[in-house]
Amino acid sequence: MHKFFSNRRLVFIVVVLVLAFGLMGGSVALRNRRATPPLIQQFGNDVVGIANDVVAVPVNAVSNGLGSFSDLLNTYSENRKLKQQVSDLAQVKVRDETLAHENRQLKKELKVQHTMTDYSKINAAVITRSPSSWQKQLVINKGQTSGVKKNMPVMSAGGLVGRVVEVNQTNSKVELLSDTSESANRFAIQVDGEGSKTINGIITDYDSETNELVMGQVTSKAKVKKGTRVTTSGLGGVTPKGLYVGKVARVGKDDYGLAQKIYIKPAADFNDVNVVTVAELDS
Amino acid sequence: MYRLSRLRFLFPIGLFVAFFLDGSLSKVWASLFFSYPYNMVSQLVLLWLVLSYFFEGNIKIPLTGFAIAVGVIADVYYAGIWGLFIVLYPLMVWLTKFLARYFNDTFLNMILIFFVDVAVFELLNYWAYYVIGITHANFGDFLINTLAPTLALNLAYFVLLFWPIQSLYTRALADRQRN
Repeated sequence: MHKFFSNRRLVFIVVVLVLAFGLMGGSVALRNRRATPPLIQQFGNDVVGIANDVVAVPVNAVSNGLGSFSDLLNTYSENRKLKQQVSDLAQVKVRDETLAHENRQLKKELKVQHTMTDYSKINAAVITRSPSSWQKQLVINKGQTSGVKKNMPVMSAGGLVGRVVEVNQTNSKVELLSDTSESANRFAIQVDGEGSKTINGIITDYDSETNELVMGQVTSKAKVKKGTRVTTSGLGGVTPKGLYVGKVARVGKDDYGLAQKIYIKPAADFNDVNVVTVAELDS
Repeated sequence: MYRLSRLRFLFPIGLFVAFFLDGSLSKVWASLFFSYPYNMVSQLVLLWLVLSYFFEGNIKIPLTGFAIAVGVIADVYYAGIWGLFIVLYPLMVWLTKFLARYFNDTFLNMILIFFVDVAVFELLNYWAYYVIGITHANFGDFLINTLAPTLALNLAYFVLLFWPIQSLYTRALADRQRN
């Protein structure tokens, strides 16, 4: 038997390893620094994205068919539940419109142009999802040509689901809040504590065991009630204010027992995202 | 001769479909594949590459070349990070060829080889992403939450798709001889 690690093979393996890790490290650094990926990568992604539809369309059709069948089965109970909510909703909507109108008038009075609550929406469909256990990423069918930019927040039916991490011409990648990589999930959020004190913090982690977002770096000592709604705070200037994140599930202490750690049950189901809304801050 | 055989069409089309099905199934069955805290990684591409090697007969498909090509697309489209799958897929082709030398072609041996492939693939994937900081899950969590469910899913794929793909290849190869 010949020697397994002959000189030539050893050199080859080392060169491949160095190249692979060089590429990986380089592309991670590039991705964190640049607003858009290199042109070749964009072009490749656009072409693959279009080709993807050929396979995705029949698969989605079958899945939608099955979905509508199961929807049909629980229509009755759902309808009863929804009827109760509809009557409330009309009232909320009218009040919302009135407040928005008043808000606009007051802003005009104060000569304020746009604030962190003014944002426009870009709707997109989810094409596919990365088959990976480490990167929780979706590919959506809107890109630079539709005005999507890197770092924009992405919402689904329930609430905030993630952030745009890569933008190509006709599609972009969205990193879900359930992704735990070191560069992910840094949304500035706020929650109302007792005595109408606003508690600010950021989403520092995601607990995959319990499906809860962790709000860390909370310096305020104010008490928080379970079930309080959590929204984005608009601090940082990238994410609009008032995007719904979820509800407080429980409150704990951080590892050193000094600051509070608030666990949030996310409003959106990260595993059931078909249509998303990208929020673009008006400026 | 690969260039003259029907596999010239069958193999790339199968690879193409397998690649996109990985993503589409991950999206459609996300609540099954990624139910907390488990993660199943769909690896139809790997299955297609391995089974193609077993069924190609005396036609030598340029598997390594295709593995590199599909690796590039996976890197760019699914990961957005260069350099991982471009190495892993050809490596798995090589590993399959290496292991196949020591076993004869029975179903059980093939599924064993595929088992090793998937396990090594996921392990190297975890290790590489751990090194560059994409994940910081500890090794025990990786074994229980990712490796075990992934193996289960992919072995189920193997059992379900073994005979359909085999008959596909048999038919493609038989037609060639008649012409």
